[in-house]
Amino acid sequence: MAIEVVNLTKSFGSGVVAVKDLSFSISPGKVTGFLGPNGAGKTTTLRCLLGLVSPTSGTATIDGSPYKSLPNPIRVVGASLEASGFHPARTARNHLRVIAAVAKISDTRVDEVLHTVGLTAAADRKVGGFSLGMRQRLALAVALLGDPKVLILDEPANGLDPEGISWLRNFLRHQAGLGVTVLVSSHVLSEVQQTVDDVIIIRSGSLVYQGSLKALSDGGPAEVVVKGPEVGKLAQIPGWSTRVTEDGTLIVTGATAAEIGNRAFTESIELHELREKTPDLEAMFLGLTHSEGGQL
Amino acid sequence: MTALIRSEFLKAFTTKLLWILALSALGFVLLTVVLGVYLTPGPPTAEDINVLLEPAAVTNIFASAGGASVFVLILGIIAMSGEYRNQTITSTFLTTPRRQSVIFAKMIAYSIIAFVIALIMWLATVAVATILLTTVEHAPIQWSSVIEILGGVLLGLVLYAILGVALGSLITNQVAAVVIALIWVFVVEALLTVFVDWLGKWLPGGALNAILQATNTSGVGGTDSLSVPIAALVLIAYTVVLAVAAVIATNRKDIT
Repeated sequence: MAIEVVNLTKSFGSGVVAVKDLSFSISPGKVTGFLGPNGAGKTTTLRCLLGLVSPTSGTATIDGSPYKSLPNPIRVVGASLEASGFHPARTARNHLRVIAAVAKISDTRVDEVLHTVGLTAAADRKVGGFSLGMRQRLALAVALLGDPKVLILDEPANGLDPEGISWLRNFLRHQAGLGVTVLVSSHVLSEVQQTVDDVIIIRSGSLVYQGSLKALSDGGPAEVVVKGPEVGKLAQIPGWSTRVTEDGTLIVTGATAAEIGNRAFTESIELHELREKTPDLEAMFLGLTHSEGGQL
Repeated sequence: MTALIRSEFLKAFTTKLLWILALSALGFVLLTVVLGVYLTPGPPTAEDINVLLEPAAVTNIFASAGGASVFVLILGIIAMSGEYRNQTITSTFLTTPRRQSVIFAKMIAYSIIAFVIALIMWLATVAVATILLTTVEHAPIQWSSVIEILGGVLLGLVLYAILGVALGSLITNQVAAVVIALIWVFVVEALLTVFVDWLGKWLPGGALNAILQATNTSGVGGTDSLSVPIAALVLIAYTVVLAVAAVIATNRKDIT
């Protein structure tokens, strides 16, 4: 099931435009990262998609229809939006049973999802005593309750320990492998870098990039790092864009390592290091999202 | 709708609020009964007259059961506004995007809960009042009036629970909703009743008292009250208006 967001705009009463003319589409069987700094409009977009917030204009649909039109929505879309949406005095199991009752989901399934997220032992404890990580697990259990074909998770890694993050990564990859449409928001690229196939990056409510993570990293200028006592000679070669760093390292763009090596060999220039720099995704992400020295 | 109502019952019975408010209501009602039997004041000019020799004063003691109304109102308010407070409203509306269905399910669930509470309050009042009255000199108990009071308490509490759910949907800040409701009941309504003579009986509290048949006899508030059917219609009208406003406001609301 595909997710389509078309020309979505949402301004709140206070005059704040949270989302501006945003369009993107998400295909099934992949994990898509929804990235942007805090306050970029990710949560507002997700809440529009889930029928919690009414868009000012534009549409957000799941499999062609708005969330509100889905007959038994949690059987189709599983969503976790915030870790704090629990009654502190209610147990984890009862929280799930309250939701399961509406969608006519059995108590057996409640036990299953508790097991899936590793909360079986804590099932009958009050949520008020849960750690942030446990709340995240419970929120994920809620999302999984209806065995949905679409998973929409807002900052699911927030508060998870490294082991939990690694588990979540494998779990989401597995779900995508089963054909589920997975949308995961995050404000930290590195958090989802190993999980996602595609990324949607927004800044100040507008789209700045949609595509595969690979294309994003290929899009950057390829840089070659060259070290040696005489790199200054290479810096004068026309057609190459070069700069020398403080420690005397030459950074070349516009040439491959092989071309530089060949030139150095023919001109008998001594080299100590010659390597192509892997693109720094985080730096590119920051470049895309970090405008006018704004605070992340 | 059955599934939604079942979910609302699960919500109600998986926290302690219902028990706390129901027990508080019971304590309040029984205290009113005790005070009614032993401390019913006589007319100001003749303090030595035993008012309990008036049949109406005896009937009035049985109307104490209606004192649970404010607790049921608070119960309804918290049932709805508590979902906003704890942000469970997000998963509630994700599960049921047709928000009016959530409001109606809650109203039905809390009507049933209020009905049971009303029954318990009436039974407890009748039991305790009957026993306590044996210890004092009093006019005979008019059992037909006591039965009528049961009808009034059932209707009054059910409508107040629905009013509470509607109020909790309109004022989603739980603390504000509870405080505003209490100020309305104990300050605004009380003052209006005393100072604007014709108005009091048309207010929700005045209508409720008429339904409970409390002020018919004691004259508290200084106004003559409406007849029971008219009072019931007035209270139902308030409930319907607030319920419609609650549905409209809730459907327009952005859940952030």
